[in-house]
Amino acid sequence: MSLGWLRQRERSNRLALRVISWIALHLGRSIARTFLYPICAYYLAFSREARQAIQAYLPRVLDRRARWPEVFGQYHCFASVLLDRVFLAAGQYHRFTIDLQGHELITERVARNQGCLLLGAHLGSFEIVRALGLTLQGTKIKTLMYEENAAKTRDLMWTLNPALGEITIAAGLPNTMLRVKECVDSGGVVGILGDRRLGQGPATECVFLGKPALFPGNTMWLASLLEAPVILFFGLYRGGNRYDIHFELFAERIIIDREDRSRQVQLWTQRYVERLEHYCRLAPDNWFNFYDFWGELQ
Amino acid sequence: MRVSDGSLLEAEVAKLIVQVLNLKIEPTQIDPDQPLFKAGLGLDSIDALELSLAIPKRYGYQLRADDPEIGEIFASLRSLCRSIEKNRTK
Repeated sequence: MSLGWLRQRERSNRLALRVISWIALHLGRSIARTFLYPICAYYLAFSREARQAIQAYLPRVLDRRARWPEVFGQYHCFASVLLDRVFLAAGQYHRFTIDLQGHELITERVARNQGCLLLGAHLGSFEIVRALGLTLQGTKIKTLMYEENAAKTRDLMWTLNPALGEITIAAGLPNTMLRVKECVDSGGVVGILGDRRLGQGPATECVFLGKPALFPGNTMWLASLLEAPVILFFGLYRGGNRYDIHFELFAERIIIDREDRSRQVQLWTQRYVERLEHYCRLAPDNWFNFYDFWGELQ
Repeated sequence: MRVSDGSLLEAEVAKLIVQVLNLKIEPTQIDPDQPLFKAGLGLDSIDALELSLAIPKRYGYQLRADDPEIGEIFASLRSLCRSIEKNRTK
């Protein structure tokens, strides 16, 4: 939730990513995957904050106590998805079996040159959806990326696939959202994640898995300013080399009255959170927000 | 005369900013040299988008994200007004 957390996560992600990507590119996917077990065991043992966060999340999504293998499974799923980013960035799509649902929601619009906003979450793999975009009629799914925090991850990914640079919009700059609007207006597809609030940005409170949590308070407002269709997407990792990608129409238009903004933003965000819950229950181990999501832990 | 024009426009744009973004301050409280974003007035990128949608309606000037001077334009009320003055069509 805090920027300190963001930096910390980015540091550890970067280290893990560097280690497993070296192994992946030199030894192959199945050998690299065997290394995920000790890496995950290490994180399970030493990352207290992440472990507590998983232990707070799992009982809510499972409606029962979590078992240790399930806690471990959360790390393992995260590490698997992280590893696969390396192969996806390197364009090795043939390695994966991808089940697609609702992708015509995108392709039909792209064919009509109608832009849209893709809205996802830190649930499963964003990269698999972006990779799919590159293979589906050359649809470029542009994504927002925080330059300073993601610099090293980005450098690695861009080295593997220079085309990724063209499909990234730098976040956190005054002109970021103007760029998003221009992209969507010209028939482009922009993907953002709507579950994680950064720093002291505006927030809206929604009930998520039975308990109120803070979600970004400006995502739905942005969507209303874009005046474009909003399509939900989730690239769920289902073990082995399988990914299930779900697209779902969220709204043809999100219309929010300025005078009633905070109430309507909350209502729209709650709708999004309900769909997020649905996909969390479908693939509980794909939840990658390893921090105090409900603001309840010490 | 330029000076008075400039401050007139500044007062007008300050009012527009407060109105469009529904800020809880008086337009006169915006220091023309204060940064609009982050540490200064505290606007964010979505606020900038809203201004970019409102400015063409009022002044017939469409801001572009890839304008090389975009950082400078958004730097302060004064620089924003300078840019509006230079590019306005109404």
